[in-house]
Amino acid sequence: MVSEQPMTPQDTLFSNQQIMHSELPQLAQLQLEPISTKYRIINLSIASMVTLVLIAIASFLRFNPFFELPEDLIYAYPFIVGVIGTLGGLWFVYHVFADTKIKYAIREQDISKQAGLIFRGISCQPILRVQHVDVKRGPIDRWAGLAKLQVFSAGGEMHTFEIPGLPLENAEKIRQFILDHKDVSAR
Amino acid sequence: MTDQVSASESAVNNIQVDTGDDWQRLSPIAIVYFTIRNILTTFQGLIYVIPALAVTFNVFDNLNSPEAYIGISAIILLTAGSGIVSFIMYKFRVHNQHVEIHSGVFQRRYTNLPLWRIQNVKIELPFYYRPFGYALVVLDTAGSGKEEAKIVAVPLAYAHALRKRVLIEKAQQNESVTANALTSPDGDKTLITGEQDEEKEEILNTRSVGDIIIHGITNNRVWIILGAAAPFYDDVFGFVSEWLAEKGLQLNQLVDEQAIAWWQFSLYAFVVLMMVMAALALLSVGGALFTFYGYTLSRADDRYIRRSGLLNKLEVSMRASRIQMITAKQDWLDKILKRVNLYFEQNTTASQQVQELMSPNKLIVPSVTENEAIELSQEVMPGCNLHAQTYQTISKRFILHWLSVAWTVPFLLAITVGVVSEHMDVVVLAFSIFSGVALLLTLRWWRWGIAFDRRYIYVRRGRVGVDYLCFEPYKVQQVMVKQSVFMKRRKLATLKVVLASGAVTVPFLPESYVYRLADSILIEVESTRRSWM
Repeated sequence: MVSEQPMTPQDTLFSNQQIMHSELPQLAQLQLEPISTKYRIINLSIASMVTLVLIAIASFLRFNPFFELPEDLIYAYPFIVGVIGTLGGLWFVYHVFADTKIKYAIREQDISKQAGLIFRGISCQPILRVQHVDVKRGPIDRWAGLAKLQVFSAGGEMHTFEIPGLPLENAEKIRQFILDHKDVSAR
Repeated sequence: MTDQVSASESAVNNIQVDTGDDWQRLSPIAIVYFTIRNILTTFQGLIYVIPALAVTFNVFDNLNSPEAYIGISAIILLTAGSGIVSFIMYKFRVHNQHVEIHSGVFQRRYTNLPLWRIQNVKIELPFYYRPFGYALVVLDTAGSGKEEAKIVAVPLAYAHALRKRVLIEKAQQNESVTANALTSPDGDKTLITGEQDEEKEEILNTRSVGDIIIHGITNNRVWIILGAAAPFYDDVFGFVSEWLAEKGLQLNQLVDEQAIAWWQFSLYAFVVLMMVMAALALLSVGGALFTFYGYTLSRADDRYIRRSGLLNKLEVSMRASRIQMITAKQDWLDKILKRVNLYFEQNTTASQQVQELMSPNKLIVPSVTENEAIELSQEVMPGCNLHAQTYQTISKRFILHWLSVAWTVPFLLAITVGVVSEHMDVVVLAFSIFSGVALLLTLRWWRWGIAFDRRYIYVRRGRVGVDYLCFEPYKVQQVMVKQSVFMKRRKLATLKVVLASGAVTVPFLPESYVYRLADSILIEVESTRRSWM
């Protein structure tokens, strides 16, 4: 059974308070911060761009003056556009709702991220177990001044802890915070 | 076994591990190793080409032609020559606490491994090494298989000395680390002082041939043999059908002739099936004997050492502190025979497929009795009790969830198709599959549970068989709590705990329980600050 207050020999030395809350730190009561709003805007623009470009290509092939398409493809054209449009629309709607759900929190001893639209999960990575930290930036991220923070533990690549869409400054700060943490820097 | 061990141990102490400035050559027996390895890699590359070649040239007809002889002898000469070249191009030295290796013919490779970074030392004895007393030493770093270094042929005593040296080196490294740490678990201290003097090996478990045969029957180890026999499949099938024909049994006739009554036919089918099953079981027993013959599990200080193998003797050692999780697996057949497969799992950062049984990341104790399983698990994790826990079971909604999310739509589709097309067999089939799935899900729900006794976390799971998992919460790498919208409404949540050996998930637990457990695990990790390694 879960004990309400597991006692450990180190309890006196241990500190991991989220300044404002009750004695024991609780995941359920984390004060989560949202990621940058730009992240959603970028995703929405990517979704619309990709959809539009695909539709444009299909339309160009359909209506181009240079060569004639086979009869079947001409017949299929509206369906193809319909499918691309629907999938693109779903992709767009997903990001409209899901991206605002991505939130994170940093405590003295761990970082947490909450994400997910239908299946919402909160994952918590103790800094003690961090093996290395990456700040990743693709071309679009660089243009928008955003960055993705990746935290690796011995849990394997499948379980890389990742916070996307952080303003670069924040990402660097968190990275530094983790690196300066006595448990990580001690090694 | 013990005599052997102690004899080699005494020899170990007199051997100089450091080979000095000069580069060392391997013993010439390595040529055999390199040749075999090169042949295998060549064949692995050619395996897709062979069927094509066989079809186009009709190999067997041309086998007697001079071209074929020239071709075959050229291949043999080339591979043998490549073995010698590989041997000449390979040199190593152990110097200044580093293992350095130059290897490769076209792609030269230089490996430099500090002794204290070596995670695992595996000593392999291929059968052609054994009469001459040589060994293959595999040095494993940080889990990644690509960084594995092999010292291909050294005298066995040297291999043992090298392994001992690596362990001492690591212990000293640990000592300097733990000296800074807040607390040092007393286990670590004794190991550091104890290691230099004498290494006493205590044998914890041995498996008799009978045990291994049981293991072969209860576990499918067919692939060990099938994999090795793959090139001969065609011949075997040809032989079997000829043999059957001789006995007057013609499969084609059986199917064609209307004269045979259906029950006769099904009797034949049943007999054939039984024969196949028996053959497979025999193969599986053979495979099990091949890998597990002479199995011993022993402990030397804080290490567990496993030795086994019929032709190729294999030795795997694992530090006790590295064990992340104990898994006791019991399939339905194991349950009947009251046997358990026990696994000690280490970190599996090496994501590529290592053969499970050989893997240094999983130490298997095959088909032990239930009592032995309890003893061994308590040996590794003192005070753990897999069976005596009151497990927090998961919610029945688990069954409902999977039935509705994954199975209802295909089921309804099949029913509709069946009814519309008036094929009642489709409907019946759909019903039976659906109820079968429901039954399995119910079994799964019934088994799945979690318990926490302040020291260890236990998970029970399975469908027909049962697996028990046990791990220490302070070794956890990451914790996740997941909830769908519907689960939130019902105050249920899924807990996923990531360990270095992999993730453990328990779904549909009460929300409050999950959060309390997650918080407890985090506190355990963050406050004790004990190393997971």
